[in-house]
Amino acid sequence: MAEREYRRLTGSKNRSLFSVAFSARTSLWLGKDHILQIDTSGYSEIYKRFYFRDVQALVFCRTDRWLYQGVGLLGAACFFALIAVTGGGPVVAGIFGTVAGVFGFFLLFHLLLGPSCKCYLRTAVQIEPLISMSRSRRALKVLQTLRPLILAAQETARPGPGPTPEAPPVISTPPPPTSSLPPEASDEPTNQPA
Amino acid sequence: MTTPVECPSCKAPLAEPLLNQPELVPCPSCRGLIHADVFPAIHRELATGSSGEALVIETEAGCFYHPQKKAVTPCDGCGRFLCALCDCELHGEHFCPTCLETGRKKGKIKRLEQERTLYDSIALALAVYPLLIFYFTVVTAPISLILAIRFWNAPRSIVHRTKIRFVVAIILSSLQLIGWGVGIYFLTTHWKSHG
Repeated sequence: MAEREYRRLTGSKNRSLFSVAFSARTSLWLGKDHILQIDTSGYSEIYKRFYFRDVQALVFCRTDRWLYQGVGLLGAACFFALIAVTGGGPVVAGIFGTVAGVFGFFLLFHLLLGPSCKCYLRTAVQIEPLISMSRSRRALKVLQTLRPLILAAQETARPGPGPTPEAPPVISTPPPPTSSLPPEASDEPTNQPA
Repeated sequence: MTTPVECPSCKAPLAEPLLNQPELVPCPSCRGLIHADVFPAIHRELATGSSGEALVIETEAGCFYHPQKKAVTPCDGCGRFLCALCDCELHGEHFCPTCLETGRKKGKIKRLEQERTLYDSIALALAVYPLLIFYFTVVTAPISLILAIRFWNAPRSIVHRTKIRFVVAIILSSLQLIGWGVGIYFLTTHWKSHG
């Protein structure tokens, strides 16, 4: 079986609250020499690649969003549980108890995911927010995975990419008997401008 | 000069002792807990571009696009000689601007691919969602079937993805078309027998 080119780093996450309606989601994947961020609308994907040798910093900050969300879920669960208890008949109790149970399940799941965070990746030319890294526990794990890879890539990339502009290698061709064209170009006339 | 790393929450610059710490540390400005991993690339200067060196000796190869300038490398795409100005380095490979643009547009250079259309998801959506209002399927089922067949070999998501969406779309849209065919047949025979 062929080895997969990309390994998932984070799950899909909505880009914003309103993007739920348009299913715009973003996720992070680990490639051989880069991190791939995929923004998908469900019917198309947009890719952003961050090469290990270009990553300058990965920073995340814990936020309070998970507390507010937890309180909201707890409030909803308590509200429906209260209706179920005080509502009267067994049908009402069953329906609202189930709804309260669903909210309770979401709350438990939410608490298990841990505190929320805001993360960004910095290169020489951009600062990219990593929306899909929204939980600090997951973010720490991802950073632990990425750190050695990035350090290894930047060790091998020293002193710096690209040709050195001071002394570029010059292609010299032996003097041809009749034409100044290089031998490779002589059988391909399009290699010289008209 | 290196731009300081900022706190994602309050954008305050982070001092050196706060960077590369094993644990979360409080931001001096907003007191939020932060973790910042900084890598050696932050101290690397950006490579400056070069305008290319002028040809001095006639025996030296000139650039295809700038014949008066020295060629420093051949293009890995088309083999044309390039001066330092035209040489676009992409992870160890050298391309001329034309090859780079063509490679990006046609998806020949995978590293430059920025977008893909997920035809399998479109075909599946066209086969599934119209089932809510069944009458639409008379139009959407053939479109879904055509899309699934037409783009069967088209590249799907860049991350691993099977053809299961295409298969389900073909099965569902075929069933819908068969359903319409059977329905129309019975309606016409019933109408004839009562007519």
